[in-house]
Amino acid sequence: QGQVEFGGMEHDTSDPVEVVSDTLEVNEEAGTAVFSGDVLVVQGEMRLSAATVRVEYTQQPDAAEGEEQEGNEIERLHASGGVVLTSGEDSAEAQEAVYTLATGEVVMTGDVLMTQGGNLLSGQTLRLNMETGNGIMEGRVRTTFSPGNGN
Amino acid sequence: MRRRDNPYSRFVAWAKIVLPLAALALLSTVFLLARNIDPTQAIPFAEIDVEELAREQRISAPNYAGVTEDGAAISVTASTARPDPDSPERVDATDLEAELITATGARYQLSSQRGEIDSGADMAYLQGGVVVTTSSGYRITSDAMSTSLSRTLLESEGPVQADGPAGRLDAGSMSLAPLPDAEGDDSANHLLVFNKGVKLVYTPSD
Repeated sequence: QGQVEFGGMEHDTSDPVEVVSDTLEVNEEAGTAVFSGDVLVVQGEMRLSAATVRVEYTQQPDAAEGEEQEGNEIERLHASGGVVLTSGEDSAEAQEAVYTLATGEVVMTGDVLMTQGGNLLSGQTLRLNMETGNGIMEGRVRTTFSPGNGN
Repeated sequence: MRRRDNPYSRFVAWAKIVLPLAALALLSTVFLLARNIDPTQAIPFAEIDVEELAREQRISAPNYAGVTEDGAAISVTASTARPDPDSPERVDATDLEAELITATGARYQLSSQRGEIDSGADMAYLQGGVVVTTSSGYRITSDAMSTSLSRTLLESEGPVQADGPAGRLDAGSMSLAPLPDAEGDDSANHLLVFNKGVKLVYTPSD
């Protein structure tokens, strides 16, 4: 397990989220929305690019109708197909990432590779809190320092 | 019989002369002082060109209702519809409004200023400020859209703007088509696809 610092700048989760992609498919009945075709999610300093991003809405249980009414708040973004997350000069790569908007928490899974300043960190899952900027790398963590640039 | 001269008789004698004269004067005002009647504004009438109305066939408040192949009820109404003179199957309509209710209950309302219904090709083309509202909360505006009357197929030629649960969205074009089910024909579910470059801005409310 490795403690990491990521993107020191103050990340505000109430910043507007901008998503740019080739297509957006909304399944009316299932209520899912999937962005595909080199998707780029930008919020404040954070930029997350992936092949597809699935939007998950908040499920507010609507007492009136009994079944869960699909809220109009975005709760989580599920990015998959090779995800690159950059914030400031730090960047992390993984196969998949889940970004929870409310808490500003990003969980990256699938041979995660993180560069921080000079050194390189790799592992299986990386849990980042964008607001505080710190995170935990888990699963076969390997760190390679590149001596010499002594930052 | 000696004439008895008393004020009352004198008054009656005068009355006998003055009253008929007054009556005569009153009567003459009916003819001499009558308003001159202006024939041009005798009856206010509408300015519509009557020949045009007579020459072409025009249906007012037409409506078309039907069921598409995948079981969606479609109804199209307009304020006026005129058959296209050079092709009998095409009808030009104004203030077009269409409603699509799919078998699963999803509802799409379309409205536009002008439109053309081509019953030959089973298509309706909407132009001019097209607005589509979907039951899942999307409000899509575009300037031209076509919808099929036999299938739930809605396509926009040009760029569209949309407001919806996912936020505010601009896209190059949009289409709504039924999802193919196992055997490949139209299932009752539909996919709303925005393509040719999508840009969405979502502002979290918390």
